[in-house]
Amino acid sequence: MEPILQVNAISKTFNLSKKQQKIEATKDKIKVALNRLSFNAYPREIYGLLGPNGAGKTTALRCISTLIKPDSGEITLNGFSVTSQEDEVRSEIGFLTSDLKLEEFFTPNYLFDYFSALHGVDPEVAKSRKKLLFAKFGIDRFAEVKVGELSTGMRQKVQIVIALVHDPDIIVFDEPTNGLDILTAKVVTDYLRELRDAGKTIVVSTHIFSLAERLCDRVGIIIDGQLMYETQLTETNRSEANLEELLFRLVEESEARKHA
Amino acid sequence: MRNILTIFRKEWDRVIKDKRLVFSVMLLPGLMIFILYSFIGGAIQTRVLNLETRLALINEPAGFVTLVDTLTGDDGWEYQSDDAESISTYKLHIDSGNWELLIIFPNDFDEAVNAKEIPEIEIYYNPNEPASSQLYSQYLRYLSTYHQQLSLAVYGDTQAFSLTVDSLPIDETKQTGMMVSMLLPMLVLMFLFAGAMGIGPEAIAGEKERGTIATLLITPVKRSEIAMGKVLGLSVLSLISACSSFLGILVSLPKLFAGEDIDMSIYSFTDYLQILLLLFSTVFVIVGIISIVSAYAKNMKEAGTLILPFYLLTILIGVTSMFGQQAAANPWLYIIPLYNSVQTLIAIFTFDPSSWLYTVITILSNIAYLVLFVFILNRMFKSEKIMFSK
Ligand SMILES: Nc1ncnc2c1ncn2[C@@H]1O[C@H](COP(=O)(O)OP(=O)(O)O)[C@@H](O)[C@H]1O
Ligand SMILES: [Mg+2]
Repeated sequence: MEPILQVNAISKTFNLSKKQQKIEATKDKIKVALNRLSFNAYPREIYGLLGPNGAGKTTALRCISTLIKPDSGEITLNGFSVTSQEDEVRSEIGFLTSDLKLEEFFTPNYLFDYFSALHGVDPEVAKSRKKLLFAKFGIDRFAEVKVGELSTGMRQKVQIVIALVHDPDIIVFDEPTNGLDILTAKVVTDYLRELRDAGKTIVVSTHIFSLAERLCDRVGIIIDGQLMYETQLTETNRSEANLEELLFRLVEESEARKHA
Repeated sequence: MRNILTIFRKEWDRVIKDKRLVFSVMLLPGLMIFILYSFIGGAIQTRVLNLETRLALINEPAGFVTLVDTLTGDDGWEYQSDDAESISTYKLHIDSGNWELLIIFPNDFDEAVNAKEIPEIEIYYNPNEPASSQLYSQYLRYLSTYHQQLSLAVYGDTQAFSLTVDSLPIDETKQTGMMVSMLLPMLVLMFLFAGAMGIGPEAIAGEKERGTIATLLITPVKRSEIAMGKVLGLSVLSLISACSSFLGILVSLPKLFAGEDIDMSIYSFTDYLQILLLLFSTVFVIVGIISIVSAYAKNMKEAGTLILPFYLLTILIGVTSMFGQQAAANPWLYIIPLYNSVQTLIAIFTFDPSSWLYTVITILSNIAYLVLFVFILNRMFKSEKIMFSK
């Protein structure tokens, strides 16, 4: 089967400001966040990027969703180039991260209509989709409450729904359960499985082994902006995958190589 | 095009559905100006009324009274006639500012003049009181006329020449136009800028700071459409804000120029329409500048700081309307942003025959600036360095 998402040797460096140098405790002016990272994702699968903090997961997902451009390398999504066909890519993808906020002044109802319009969704389709999604996430009772007045959990559910107004084929989700209470987290992971079963492609990032083990069909381990390992999780090997030990070993190896 | 309208409507709703913003953007500016100017106007007015003419004459000769009667004509004059005993009381009153002027004629003034003696007239006033000084110079003129009259009667013609002054009557409309053109262009520009400054940083730098702009940037909407939607929304809102200020000025003008007879009805409906067109094109320039600065700033606070120099510059450009009694005549000057708006406003207010030419040049160049600003904004929305700077 053809991969729907191809990430091909992308690199990304950031210039560090004086302040960032202090925070990162480094004298380097340049931070290599991604170093020739490659991976593919297929329809009907949940691909997980697993890695410690600062490994480059968020940066990779931001490149895929056109918010930032890789310095080199290429990403194609459903055949569209992320760097030269941004608008097409944006129509195919739903991106979720805690960096993307909703305006607190508006209600979920208003924002759903607003982003549906911006995505060019037919108003009738948008209406029935809104009804479905609001019911699924229990937003219907809060549809007319300003986002600023919603609880954190409810606000995150609204963010998920808004990211999916255009029913994208590919859903990119940065740290999907971060900051969610366990009940909401379960609603979210169940829904991601449901989307996968409906034929969508899901790419998630996480630093939580157990989440990767439970949720993902394939996992790539990313350290210092490089893909170090990739594995398929099936119903049979899922329980003894032991990603935790694997990750620690890979981190140690990479540290040893750096100091060699 | 549909996306521009969608974004425009969101910017509009953001303000219109927020009672606090509706008040501060649309009602407060006009209200503030009305209250402020009514107060200043009121202050000027009381000063004018206070210029009282409490005048006392001692031993006034009938000839002088008749003369002042004719000189003051319809307006008339009032005075207190008294005798020599009260002189010291009046002087005290004048010193303390309660009374304005005292003129003391000697007891036998007429006889003395006719006997070709030189009687002395004493005047007492308070040079520290404007009302007293003003009345003093007024009556000095009357006395000098009286002096000439008596000289002629007693000594024959002593004048080398006589003088007749003639001129066109004062053109009230032109006067008013000049006064209005000195003050309003600066105020209008200031209020337009202040209105845009009140919402611009919030709508762009604020969205950046709160991370809501990223949510917009991952939609397939063209960045130029985002730029146009924002600029259009902010322009309409700023214009409403400026109209509120403008209404405030119009309502308080009669109070501001108390006694000066300002009548804004000297301007026709087309004049006002011309002004409105001009303001709309000016607002694009101002909103464009504010949007670019806001998009560059990392947060609202920085946006406010960075916009301030532009605000001061705008006021400075507005102040140019106070010099030079008429609009600049060189049409090329009308491609300079903001300066062109000020000069065109002067042209309209002073009934300059070229005002339509200036208006057209100004509007066309402002539209060119708008296109340039939207282009720059579009580039800025595309730049990850600018949009996601931390
Ligand atoms: N805008 C930026 N400017 C400078 N450095 C950045 C920027 N974004 C990310 N980085 C750095 O790149 C590295 C990778 O970050 P990130 O992708 O957020 O990691 P992760 O999501 O895996 O925790 C980190 O060291 C981070 O500090
Ligand atoms: Mg991250």
